[in-house]
Amino acid sequence: MIRFERVSKVYPGGSRALADVSFDIERGSMVFLTGHSGAGKSTLLRLVMMLERASRGNVFVNGLNLSEAPDRLAPIVRRNTGMIFQDHKLLKDKTVADNVALPLMIAGLKYADIRKRVRAALDKVGLLSKVSQMPLALSGGEQQRVGIARAIVSMPPLLLADEPTGNLDPNLSRELFALFEEVAAQGVTVLIASHDLDLIRRMHKRVLVLSAGRLADDIPARNIP
Amino acid sequence: MNDVSLFSRIGRRIRAWSRQHSYSFFSSLGVILKHKTGTLMTVLVLGIAMFLPLGLYVTLNNLDNVDLRQDEWSAVTVFFKPGIDGTEVRRVANELQQRFEPGSMTLISPEQGMADFRSASGFGDSLEILDENPLPWVMQVSPRSGSTDQLESRVAELTAYLDTVNSVELTQFDYKWLQRLGRLLDLGQAAVTLLVALFGLAVVVVVANTIRLDVASRAEEIEILALVGAGNAFVRQPFLYTGLWYGLMGGFIAVVLIALAMFYLGGPLGLLLETYGSAFNMRGLEGYHALWVLAGGALLGWFGAWIAVQRYLRKLRIGGRLGRS
Repeated sequence: MIRFERVSKVYPGGSRALADVSFDIERGSMVFLTGHSGAGKSTLLRLVMMLERASRGNVFVNGLNLSEAPDRLAPIVRRNTGMIFQDHKLLKDKTVADNVALPLMIAGLKYADIRKRVRAALDKVGLLSKVSQMPLALSGGEQQRVGIARAIVSMPPLLLADEPTGNLDPNLSRELFALFEEVAAQGVTVLIASHDLDLIRRMHKRVLVLSAGRLADDIPARNIP
Repeated sequence: MNDVSLFSRIGRRIRAWSRQHSYSFFSSLGVILKHKTGTLMTVLVLGIAMFLPLGLYVTLNNLDNVDLRQDEWSAVTVFFKPGIDGTEVRRVANELQQRFEPGSMTLISPEQGMADFRSASGFGDSLEILDENPLPWVMQVSPRSGSTDQLESRVAELTAYLDTVNSVELTQFDYKWLQRLGRLLDLGQAAVTLLVALFGLAVVVVVANTIRLDVASRAEEIEILALVGAGNAFVRQPFLYTGLWYGLMGGFIAVVLIALAMFYLGGPLGLLLETYGSAFNMRGLEGYHALWVLAGGALLGWFGAWIAVQRYLRKLRIGGRLGRS
């Protein structure tokens, strides 16, 4: 689903974010990406979302070489990728339902279908009762779950999460990861960047470790104690 | 792929496209209605900017409507030499008739002239002291009616011919006055064109600036839209609709201002024009004029918004160019 071939990323100004990174993630698997802050986790996710381009090497997502794809494909790549952010990135002046509906609006679905799918997505993250609330009226964990509902509402084959548990207490974090596991069980490829090592260890999934822009380790699930 | 599925694919694309537009349409309307004061101020500025060229246009349209082609204003007065008798005058009149087919021709004998003068001037009896009638034969000729240019050349031909007739002492015409007015109207038309261009530019700039601020204040929203897969077109649409609304409402204000101005100025202007002996009907904007103003305003607003958003998207680099750095 995601394949990196000797990918390097140097930002304008010379700072090196990724250096010679190669890995392959299978369709339908759940993988963690970890490392200290500044190790290149966010850059890696941004490359997968076509928010940046690799300086060298090739990034394949779902068979498409993003390093060579024209700019106009970027929105389509993003539409096929659910992304969850540490700071939620919700529209504060729109209701929970409107926020979750956004990807479907962009895709131009019928209103009736949008309503149905928004309710289904909110039901899955346990927030059906908050459908017409404003995001700021919700707790941090709830806002994060709204973000997840928005990421899965269009049923993309790929789900990315950048420090999704950043501000949450351990219980909420565990619930969130269980939710990701559920999504992955339905055939969605899930890649989660996180530095919450305790939690990651408990999930028994494959872990990619970045260190100073290099892939320092690639631990298969069976090797997680 | 068979034809049916191709058609259904195209149909689906069109439906998706129209749904995206209806979303932008309503969201832009919502934004405009939410910021009532700001919207009102922008729209007023736009309305006044559009009112100025429009007002000049209506004024000129009305001046042109005053019957400038009245025959008496283009009439040439021909004074014959003293002592020329009626036979010669009628010969000249016949000649003119054949050559120029004038619109109207009146012959005034010295006797009739004296009678008119007597009754009109009030000198009455004092004219009795004159031994003989000093007035010559006089003829008034108006060219065939036509456009201002045609009238002008016809008057020129007429006077050129009369200058060659020996029995004619003098020709006199008021045509210069008419000519000047015609030229002034031409100048006015050019001024309208210039003003339309200038104030059209002003509308674009005002809308572009308003939308620029609007876009900047919604930078976060734009970023989020781009992150969840909105293309440039989707990000642009609500702003383009906002610009369109601004232009449309500005045009509406301009039309309303014209109506108010006509209502206010109509009375005094009518009285003024009555003194020129002209039955005068004030002409406002026709329905199709108003439609043009609304459509023009909407188009300019849309264009202004497009400029603003496009510049911003380029700066943001989200969904824009992804250089291989």
